[in-house]
Amino acid sequence: MTGAWQVGVDIGGTFTDVIAVDATTGAVRAAKVRTAVGDPLASIDGALSAVHLSWVEMTDLMHGTTMATNAIVEDKLAPVVLVCTEGFSDTLAIARQNRRELYRLDVPPKLPPLVPDDRRLEVEGRLDSEGREIRPLSQDSVDTAIRRVKELGAEAVAVTFLHSYANPDHEEAFAAALDGHVPHIALSHRMNPEAREYARMSATVLNAALMPLTAGYLDRLLGRASNRTRIHLFHSAGGMASPDAIRGQPLALALSGPAAGVAASSRVAGALNLPKVISFDMGGTTTDVCLITDATVQISSERSLAGRPIRQPMVAVESIGAGGGSIARLEHGAIRVGPDSAGAEPGPACYGLGGEKPTVTDANLVLGYLSDTRPLGGTVRIQSAAARAAIAPIATRFGISIEAAARGIHRVANANMMRALRRVTVEHGVDARDCALLAFGGAGPMHAVELARELGISRVVVPQFSSMFSALGCLSADLSYAQQQTVRMPSEAWDDHRLEGLRRTLLDRLSLPLVSAGYALGQLNVEHVAGIRYAGQSYAVEIPCSAPLDVHRLEVDFKARHQRLYGFATDEPWELQSLRLRVSAPPRRALNGMKSQAGRTAHEPMGESLCSFGGLQPVRTPRFDRDGLEVDRRIAGPAVIEDDWSTIVVNPGAAAWADAHGHLHIDVGAAE
Amino acid sequence: MTGEIDPFTVEVIRNSLTAIAEEMSLVVMRSARSPLLREAGDLSSALTDATGELIAQGRDIPVHVGVMCATVREFLKRVPQGRLAPGDVWFLNLPEIGGNHLPDVKAVRPIFSNGRLEAFAVSLAHWADIGGARPGSYVPDATDAWQEGVRISPVRLFTAEGPDREKLDFLLANLRGPEEREGDILAQMAATRAADERLTALFARYGAATLRKTTAALHDASEAQMRAALAELPRGTYEGEDWLDDDGIIDRPVAVRVKIDLAGESATFDFSASDDAVQGPLNTTPFATAASVFYAVKAIAGPDIQPNGGCYRPLTIKTRPGSLLDPPHDRPVVGGNHETTQRIVDAIFLALAPIVPERLSAGGPTTSGLLLFSGRDPRTNRWTTLYEVHGGGEGARCDRDGASVVRVHMSNVMNTPAEVIEAEYPIRIERQTLRRGSGGKGGHRGGDGQVREYRILAPEMRLTTMFERRVVPPYGLCGGAPGAPFRATLVRRSGEEVVLPGKTHVVLYEGDRVVLESCGGGGYGAPSARAI
Repeated sequence: MTGAWQVGVDIGGTFTDVIAVDATTGAVRAAKVRTAVGDPLASIDGALSAVHLSWVEMTDLMHGTTMATNAIVEDKLAPVVLVCTEGFSDTLAIARQNRRELYRLDVPPKLPPLVPDDRRLEVEGRLDSEGREIRPLSQDSVDTAIRRVKELGAEAVAVTFLHSYANPDHEEAFAAALDGHVPHIALSHRMNPEAREYARMSATVLNAALMPLTAGYLDRLLGRASNRTRIHLFHSAGGMASPDAIRGQPLALALSGPAAGVAASSRVAGALNLPKVISFDMGGTTTDVCLITDATVQISSERSLAGRPIRQPMVAVESIGAGGGSIARLEHGAIRVGPDSAGAEPGPACYGLGGEKPTVTDANLVLGYLSDTRPLGGTVRIQSAAARAAIAPIATRFGISIEAAARGIHRVANANMMRALRRVTVEHGVDARDCALLAFGGAGPMHAVELARELGISRVVVPQFSSMFSALGCLSADLSYAQQQTVRMPSEAWDDHRLEGLRRTLLDRLSLPLVSAGYALGQLNVEHVAGIRYAGQSYAVEIPCSAPLDVHRLEVDFKARHQRLYGFATDEPWELQSLRLRVSAPPRRALNGMKSQAGRTAHEPMGESLCSFGGLQPVRTPRFDRDGLEVDRRIAGPAVIEDDWSTIVVNPGAAAWADAHGHLHIDVGAAE
Repeated sequence: MTGEIDPFTVEVIRNSLTAIAEEMSLVVMRSARSPLLREAGDLSSALTDATGELIAQGRDIPVHVGVMCATVREFLKRVPQGRLAPGDVWFLNLPEIGGNHLPDVKAVRPIFSNGRLEAFAVSLAHWADIGGARPGSYVPDATDAWQEGVRISPVRLFTAEGPDREKLDFLLANLRGPEEREGDILAQMAATRAADERLTALFARYGAATLRKTTAALHDASEAQMRAALAELPRGTYEGEDWLDDDGIIDRPVAVRVKIDLAGESATFDFSASDDAVQGPLNTTPFATAASVFYAVKAIAGPDIQPNGGCYRPLTIKTRPGSLLDPPHDRPVVGGNHETTQRIVDAIFLALAPIVPERLSAGGPTTSGLLLFSGRDPRTNRWTTLYEVHGGGEGARCDRDGASVVRVHMSNVMNTPAEVIEAEYPIRIERQTLRRGSGGKGGHRGGDGQVREYRILAPEMRLTTMFERRVVPPYGLCGGAPGAPFRATLVRRSGEEVVLPGKTHVVLYEGDRVVLESCGGGGYGAPSARAI
């Protein structure tokens, strides 16, 4: 049997989510299975069998993966040989010379360099900051370096020459000489054509270090897939990339997981015509927050992962190490929540898997939001008694009831979330009150109403498939590639010709994989973002623009944006610091034809429970099955709405209703 | 609600206050002009209560945040509360008004709720020029305070109506690069404005009375933690001394001496026995001295204690008027800020080495390692100033080797990437390497310093040096060897080599090279004890 199934799979740390759509009938299947740790192919197999599909039935497999993220965070990287400009191979060890902790003498102040001393090589040859050659590349030193690479038996080589972002000739020449001697080569001007040698070097080394792992995985994946299945991977900038593109630049997977959820959010924001949305993805151990304006995700190129600069365009997600599994503890008479997490094992105390410490999830169970009668996903049964026992010591310490202590833990967890939410809004000059809060992930919809009230937000949306939203993101994203290039063009010495040349080169590089995939150049959608700063500033303000880049238009937009961000703008000279392009293929499908499997017949509560919302007494709260909700009929809070994997809390004073697409809307109202 | 604030509300408000201070620093870094602010992050932010007691700080520079504990308190002695109005932003840099040195300019904004003064937001930023005898405002041979630059007594540059153009122009007229400085001033103003908006929202949410009670509770909690941490240290009186290489004027070492009295839950730090005030710019203020003590105590006894006014209540700090650390107001202080304050930390560490060596690290790069290049860039015909600090090898500890090339203790300012230097200044970086073998030997080795070589591409540039640990090397602990000292060498185009003093001013010409070798860290324990 063959089908035309398009399948999105998100392989997370604990669970693998899958959503499949049949392009011909619009039928939808979704499931959540445990991730096979260390074996992504097995996870995909497990997900497919959970939705009763085989490889031959898929036309498209789109998947997000934490493979690269985990390799970096857990420091499981392939050994790399680094080749640098003479005099600069210690740059990786010197880094930026700052220490991580101001007052801690016991912890090492810096991470060790990614490449040890004896694997960092130098070659002669020097460019200046405008790319002019000061000293030619010395053939002797190139030969010596290549000999040494072979002696070391290197599998991956990173090449970072000074100022290669302005002129790639030396790196290209070295790569040509090295070709055939080593399986994997990462050139810094291709990985990250931006100034600041330490960050570019670090990004290039990480790329090289991920290449063998990624290539091995892709080989196995492609070997498994049938000929008719197109495979795409989700990259950090919120789009899909081909296996070949990822092979060359695996670091683009660094934020693959969170980016998929953000991409799905932008899709929902567009479908619902919400101009400003904050995506709020609260899982077990981390919470990811991102701002989406006019259905466009904010992109940042200045992110780090595990203390290493990444410098790839990535969705501007703020991640904090707090989620449902975060542990509450007493510290010097105060309550702290996180950053320690009970994780998936042993998990919160209420899971009964050996965890004894109180977590946010335990608090949510004591408060009555979670139910100990409806097993999570139909399998994990949670226990109130264990949650109460875990929280009891805190209640005793302050002489309050267990419910009051649970409320306290819930509130402190919210305060942690608030910091991330503030960072993506007010710190970027955005008034949160103009935003809607899009809540998903296992725990997000339990905290959303209170957070929204705190931020002055009036609308919460819990999207369809909220507990497997990243898989949906994989399914709905377009093929796209993005990169940022250093330009450095002063407004007083504008050179349209040079700028167009740089733009063309970047455009050609990014279009190549799309053209190879069969798209015509004219079909491609190209977005431009200019990074502009006043002469003398370091941080550029990002200005969306279009080709041809017009100096006057840019100036007007820059000043207006600077005024809005910082409250002032001047008539001084400015500089086009960088240019970022995102090239995407036309959208392949509309998910709008997707049929929801919801029955929408009974609109009666399944039951009720006692929930605490901060008042003196718990209140009787009806519980609804999300799949049974009638479209557009309002449910006044207090209420709890559940599906197999997530729980939505509608606080007193709020009101919720489902729309025809299966999204749940909440008017947060005011606390009673 | 009456009585005590519940612990959950305290935690929620604590989070909010810290977030505000962090946001202030972000605003300055993103919008300021001085390279030192935007590339290297030489800035800090704080919130205080209405009396000037610190309630929150960002993750900033210890010498700054320590000084800011005193800035508002001293400011209020000069500017009575009645003169403050909503929307004001006052600027000041006088060392004697809760200050450290002239380049670190503080912007102070009073914040009101229902007409009552409730808090202050303070944004401190290092300006690349504050006037004075030399570009960059580091005058290594200064012998009085006025040679160091413009002395800003508290002046209201902004009111609710906007900037006071007359005062602003008067100030800018006294500074090199007025456009760049105006950018810095606006950035600091913007940071305090952000704090005002956030705090006003907090007052609206919780009420000013709740916030007052909460900050009082936070102060008490930090105080209790600090007392408990101090009580863990063995009681007694301990003395320590360390030496500055010289004061820039007279070529002889200058002593910093401390007598520490640990009395259970409190401690006294008496610096009276330190040398007299010096002629050159290595003096520092009692406020910067207090900042050094705060840092050292926090690092040794309680790194996790929430820093605020309460944290430092159990500490008494004594300085002798007329001494290096409490000089007459006409003495220069620019280098004392990051050289002498570091030596104070060293003296405290050495005093406590006999009792808690396992909590300390051996001597490290306790100097800014500053090279300040200035000159006209022939490519743009613009005046440029590169202020570059150099980290060295960290001192070893009882349980690990020191790290290579890092900033320690009172500062944490980053380097400027070679690709940025070459694009923005008429300078080429010929190499940046580890200075291998410079770390002191020991059971655990000190970290290595770095070598950075600068080639001058302009017809003429000026170089000011301000660094230490050139004569008196970073010490080893418990039998470890000292690290190799700092060395800066000028190699003229002709090939002639000149070893540069640590506080000097020289003219450079095209083709000249300056080779900076930063110090290695001290070792810990006898070398023979090193595990194979």
